[in-house]
Amino acid sequence: MRKANSLTKFLRLIYVLLIVVPTFAGFTYALLHSLGLTGLLTDGLTLKYWSEALRDFYMWKSIGFSFLIAVISVFLSFCIALFLVLKLTDDFQKKWFHRLLFLPLCFPATVMAFYVMQTFSKSGFLSRLSFQFGWIDHIESFPELTNDAYGIGIMLTSVLLVFPFFTLFLKNIFDAERLQDYGLIAQSLGAKPRHAFWKISLALLWQKSKSTVVLYIIFVMGSYEVPLLLGRQNPQMITPRIVDKAQRFNLHDIPQAYVMALIYLFLVLLLISLMSTRFVQFFKKKTHA
Amino acid sequence: MLRRIVHFFLIAVIFLPVAVLLILSFSEHWIFPDVLPENFHRQTWLRLFSTESELRQSLGLSIVVSLCVAFFSTLMGCILSRAVSTSRYKKYYISLAYLPYILSPVVLGVLWHYFAVVIGLNASFIGVVSAQFLICFPFGFIILSSFWTRHISNYEELSITLGSSEWFRFKKVIFPLAKPVLGLCFFQCFLISWFDYGLTQLIGGGQVKTLTLSVFNFINEANIFLAALASLLLVIPPMTLLFFNKKIILKRTLIH
Amino acid sequence: MRLELQNISKRFGQKPVLTAVDLELKDNQVMSILGKSGSGKTSLLKIIAGLEDADTGNIFLNETSIISQKPNTRHIVYLFQEALLFPHLNVFDNIAFGLQAQQLKAAEIDKRVKAILKEIDLSAHSSKFPQQLSGGEKQRVAFARAIIVQPQVLLLDEPFGALDVDTRETMQKLFLKLMKAYGIAALFVTHDLKEALLIGDQIAKIDKGYLKTYTSQSEFIQDAQSGVKEEIDFWMQIQQSK
Repeated sequence: MRKANSLTKFLRLIYVLLIVVPTFAGFTYALLHSLGLTGLLTDGLTLKYWSEALRDFYMWKSIGFSFLIAVISVFLSFCIALFLVLKLTDDFQKKWFHRLLFLPLCFPATVMAFYVMQTFSKSGFLSRLSFQFGWIDHIESFPELTNDAYGIGIMLTSVLLVFPFFTLFLKNIFDAERLQDYGLIAQSLGAKPRHAFWKISLALLWQKSKSTVVLYIIFVMGSYEVPLLLGRQNPQMITPRIVDKAQRFNLHDIPQAYVMALIYLFLVLLLISLMSTRFVQFFKKKTHA
Repeated sequence: MLRRIVHFFLIAVIFLPVAVLLILSFSEHWIFPDVLPENFHRQTWLRLFSTESELRQSLGLSIVVSLCVAFFSTLMGCILSRAVSTSRYKKYYISLAYLPYILSPVVLGVLWHYFAVVIGLNASFIGVVSAQFLICFPFGFIILSSFWTRHISNYEELSITLGSSEWFRFKKVIFPLAKPVLGLCFFQCFLISWFDYGLTQLIGGGQVKTLTLSVFNFINEANIFLAALASLLLVIPPMTLLFFNKKIILKRTLIH
Repeated sequence: MRLELQNISKRFGQKPVLTAVDLELKDNQVMSILGKSGSGKTSLLKIIAGLEDADTGNIFLNETSIISQKPNTRHIVYLFQEALLFPHLNVFDNIAFGLQAQQLKAAEIDKRVKAILKEIDLSAHSSKFPQQLSGGEKQRVAFARAIIVQPQVLLLDEPFGALDVDTRETMQKLFLKLMKAYGIAALFVTHDLKEALLIGDQIAKIDKGYLKTYTSQSEFIQDAQSGVKEEIDFWMQIQQSK
């Protein structure tokens, strides 16, 4: 290998600066602000905002709520995808079916959330249909499926956004790993279909897709537009909560927003560092897809 | 039978969003408990073509912002991924590029807001383009890093020994070979920018009204008919791309 | 034309790849270099071509040092194991690549490419794209593309390694014919003992970064380290066991 010339070294430096500087500048400013060392209300080093935030039950509730929403959404998406891949294996050969699964990938989160709102809210399409069929007699009788306390609307939107991707992803693994053949071999060796499913198909699919699953849990946890449209103030997902605090008129809320952002980033980084080698492999595979 | 039911269910789940948006975009009143809106007409769509239409301005602005972001992200992604491709530490450089996605662009937007104010880029077109660039460019970098393989390097080395200059090599070998991946990268970055709401809202301070902002504004104003129209406008470019290339759409979803 | 290497050494980190390599390639000669994978043969060729830097030593072409010369001005062409035809160019444009890089006139390029196409018996394929060619045809185009620029030295890194036995034999013959016709000196790296003996006027062996050159084929055959004796013993044993 020829030694890198000075232009190449300079470009590498530019790259590091473009990625690292904005991120770490943001980190540093947030840290300084949260410690009272900068910002409009600066009055010297203080741990006030950190202790307030760490004792804030609602922040931990937001983080827990976000995590729960993400885990449930990804789990449901994975189950739907698994069902489609295993039960409709032959349909993937049909062009229309393949294209159909790609269609939801064209929907940005904002639009999907808007659609869910118009279809599943108390005044939405389903509520009106229920009224016409006589299942409900009043708008209030329709169950609360959006802006609800359990995050049903958020989960529903996340599932609609994620399951098509998971289906295509699992189908790729299914083909690449020749799972059908393995299943047949297992059965020819005397395994029952149920046993072959748990011990062969599912085990292999899970092994190959667990990094993606964890990554999607992180993505859904950090989602913003969907909970903004379909969530509520309590419980609130962490990203809208951070933005909410950061944009309040009360200047005391801003350092708390930074503390929350830093805690959230710390938790995500912790999760990533535990999985780091697998993530690099995941992206390597994806960029070649 | 199960197959039929699943097919029906899938088609319903996937086509309903498009149908609902289309119906709403051609309506004016939708009073409970009517299942369908009354008075279907083209009024909302015609507003799009009037010269003072806010939606039309948003559409134009979104196109310009996304084109700028996609162009600069692809350009820088290409140059910088090339510079990094020969490094022994390539793996670590690529790992760095995941940082903005894993840390959530919106959360980073909160952290960047102060700096945007300090350098006078908040609530401005350039500020929004720069912030989106900082998110899109690492993705472009990841896509283009996969292009600089040992195989491409062999092509380069071969053409060097055949006597080609750097420019000739770029024009005759690298660019033609990279064209598909450059196109892929450009469209990916275009779509990430096209779909962005959080970062544009935070850095643009609501002043840079792209289409996604319009959707939110219309929802907040309870104008679901214009929101539906704006939503359809958001969905049309990726659907057009899907028509031509499925791969482009799949790659974007990996990150977004 | 005479290529001379003096005391070329190269390390990757702590690991020595080439150690004090000396070599002399005479005018219009083909030198076979026999070596296993990981022996340093590819690094040696890349250093000569200028694609890698040597840590120490010097390279002379006609008694002029070329060690600091850019690779695209050395007139040394490096051929990979793969044909590496540019997939977006047809056969004609692939062969014309080096001439276009030299900015020759179109008429001149046309004349020279057509002539060489005739020699490699691919005139009818000039507008075909690489994916339409067989493995042997691709390798012929790759040769033509290298030879047409009339390099001072041609470096070949196991060029027939991926071909089947029959095509390989045809290509070996074609290679020798073209080398003599164009009067080009070449370093031919291979791990195949028979191929090394068949192709090379001069012969050398590289092992763990050390290069040993032989003055003649008979010296090589008689050398206990060359591997020829093991080859003969193997066939004898097979014969005796039957």
